[in-house]
Amino acid sequence: MLARIAHELFWLGRNLVRAEHTARMLDGVFQADVQGRPDDPAGVTLGWGSILAIMGANPEGLPARRDDVLERLTLDADDPASVVSCVARGREGARTVRDVISAEMWEAVNTTNLTLLEGDLSARLRTGPYSFYQYVKERSALFWGLTRRTMLRDDASAFLIAGGRIEAADMVLRMLRVALPVADADDTAARDGQALALLQAVGGFQAFRRAVPGPPNAQPVARFLLFERAYPDSVAASVESLLQSIEQADLNPRNSEPVLRLTRLGADLEFRRRSEIAGVGGLHGTFEFIQSELAQVDQDIAERYFAGAAAPGVVATHVNA
Amino acid sequence: MDEVFGPGGVPHPELVPLVAELARLGPEQLAAAGRRRDAIFMQQGITFDATGEDGPVKDRPFPLDLVPRVIPATEWTHIKRGLAQRIRALNHFVDDVYHGREIVRDGIVPWKLIVSRSHFARAVHGVRPPGGVYCHVAGCDMVRDSDGSWKVLEDNVRTPSGISYVLENRVAMTRLVPQLFQHYRVRPVDHYPQLLLAALRAVAPSTDDEATVVVWTPGPMNSAYFEHAFLARQMGVELVEASDLVVRDDVLYMRTTSGLQRVHSVYRRLDDDFVDPLEFRPDSLLGVPGLVRAYRAGSVAIANAFGTGVADDKAVYHYVPEMVRYYLSEEPILQNVKTYLLTDPEQLHHVLGRLDELVVKPTGESGGKGVVIGPSTPKAELEKVAKYVQAEPERYIAQEIVKLSTVPTAGVDGTVAPRHVDLRPFAVFGETIKIIPGGLTRVAMVEGSMIVNSSQGGGSKDTWVLEDGTDAEREEPTIPAPLPPTMPDLRYGGWTGQAQQQQQQQQQAPAPTTAGEDA
Repeated sequence: MLARIAHELFWLGRNLVRAEHTARMLDGVFQADVQGRPDDPAGVTLGWGSILAIMGANPEGLPARRDDVLERLTLDADDPASVVSCVARGREGARTVRDVISAEMWEAVNTTNLTLLEGDLSARLRTGPYSFYQYVKERSALFWGLTRRTMLRDDASAFLIAGGRIEAADMVLRMLRVALPVADADDTAARDGQALALLQAVGGFQAFRRAVPGPPNAQPVARFLLFERAYPDSVAASVESLLQSIEQADLNPRNSEPVLRLTRLGADLEFRRRSEIAGVGGLHGTFEFIQSELAQVDQDIAERYFAGAAAPGVVATHVNA
Repeated sequence: MDEVFGPGGVPHPELVPLVAELARLGPEQLAAAGRRRDAIFMQQGITFDATGEDGPVKDRPFPLDLVPRVIPATEWTHIKRGLAQRIRALNHFVDDVYHGREIVRDGIVPWKLIVSRSHFARAVHGVRPPGGVYCHVAGCDMVRDSDGSWKVLEDNVRTPSGISYVLENRVAMTRLVPQLFQHYRVRPVDHYPQLLLAALRAVAPSTDDEATVVVWTPGPMNSAYFEHAFLARQMGVELVEASDLVVRDDVLYMRTTSGLQRVHSVYRRLDDDFVDPLEFRPDSLLGVPGLVRAYRAGSVAIANAFGTGVADDKAVYHYVPEMVRYYLSEEPILQNVKTYLLTDPEQLHHVLGRLDELVVKPTGESGGKGVVIGPSTPKAELEKVAKYVQAEPERYIAQEIVKLSTVPTAGVDGTVAPRHVDLRPFAVFGETIKIIPGGLTRVAMVEGSMIVNSSQGGGSKDTWVLEDGTDAEREEPTIPAPLPPTMPDLRYGGWTGQAQQQQQQQQQAPAPTTAGEDA
């Protein structure tokens, strides 16, 4: 398929997953914030400052107010990290590839975008953002459901899914790194509270309960979100699915840099899951390692598939003459 | 004239059921269906950018009027033959212009007229595409005069657009007002993408595998991008932009995730000017360097071929009936609207005296840009026009005003009133010329207005060509539906002699055969 289209599909997947994850995160944090005891605000919250840090939107670490953060990361069309921006970019991407994705998928994205821009959203957000985030989550589920249901399982859907999975892994890792900081290693109570909020923010609380017998403390939550392959949004599950997609899209996967790197990363995750790592502090090395590996995979994918043809003057390797 | 109601407000016999059904629907239901239509079109993203009274409007739902326009089979046969004849002549003309120029040497079309046009492409002189087909896709604008006769207003053989709306309109109509269809057998239009794909394959240079066909779009910013994507999707081919294409050693390739892949046939939707910066406009960022060389080398087919713009010109249009006589030795079936060439001093003088009664059009523009309609233009404005025309008479033509026919049209509130319409049928020229029944009927949404361009607020109508058993147009031969297996008859003791024999007889019954003709 066309390199440009593969690139668009990859980013369509990324943008839509980012929109959903951001919505989930804000929703989870908002709930935790409302429920949090006034005398112990850090007890069960992820904190609005951390949210901005997760999105890389507040490099100076300025104090953050709830309403500002909600407004900015949800509705601000000028902020590329906001939910509406991600959906709008997704919609533009889908428009470019509408001859490749199914008509129903395109309609799902297009309608989501239209609805998100309708009416007085700021008011809706102030009175209670639940319905807004719920809508984004539902529409996202609709899109991915339609992808599974109506899109041909060829290299086009493989790139779409690959984009979604790499973004999901990246989002979860970002959240882990910010929510479970290594610096204040003594403050385990606060960190456990953060872990619970994080679990709720990714929508994995119930899954965690069923999979892990212990309490939702920082260490088991981090291990769950990293290694639990049975949980679809864990980093390990995303890496596995990403690998499968790329293998499917590549004509010659044995020779493919991203496939090799992902295979090694999968094995590495499995090894780390089995080995005992002391505390969250020990896991931090893993967060960083996986994130840098994924960044490398992202670059490999771009070079191998999206650059398209060989550089000018070089004879192409695969020509259907 | 009105196409539905004759003198005295009596509907034509064929249209009585439609009028009755519309009356049964009533304004309220029609208006409600209109709101559903807008919602569906917005959701599906079937929109376009228009220039409204209060400035440009982005992403407006394409306005489909819910009252269809009906064309009886006999009338359609006439139009179809006329168009096919015209397109054959135009194709001969393009070939002639870039080869022998017989028509010029025989003094029928002046060479100066052809060579001075910006659409004349020196770069493809002497190149003959596979099969000698230049105008693979044509869309001719037609109008009905006050006496009911069909006339050609314009030939579009560069990149005519609108076919996607023809197909989408039909689908939308069956969803929104299915009851209107119940009294009619309407000829289908949805085979167009297959016809186009077959034509594009037919003209591709020979290859061991199946030819790779692509649709080439200028990009998502183009106002017809919806159509480009629609056609690519319907044909199941790649929709490429210039950045996806590259020419190596006079062969065209596209950049894929697994390297370069050869392209054999391109349905391009951008003008000659932009296709190749080495041959046409050097500042074009939309083009592919070396494409014209590849085309000249015969390694890639381009539809429509480079240089077809000479047949698209509004001044050349004047000569098309002559071309039909010259190349085909036939009398033209369809007439032109009376056109004056302003390079002729006598005609120029005549036109300048009657500017307030005529339409003046710039020859090189499309989409209704720069058109001056005499009767509805203030005097001061007309004096300015007279000056332009006198300064550069070769850049303009003048035409008699055609009082376009009207068809009942539903307003926003669902009430039906007559509005002016034109028609753009679409033809595909591969191995033979095939014309899709009907075409895009464009309708002026304002009372009395004759401006039907969708970029200027016009709407469209689903156009029905009726099936007619008595006509020369017959259905394609169809494969008879398989007979359902007969259950053994239990009353006579199951699957025995008689029942079995009966079934055999049924299966051996001769299949109904019909003689077929091209669509």
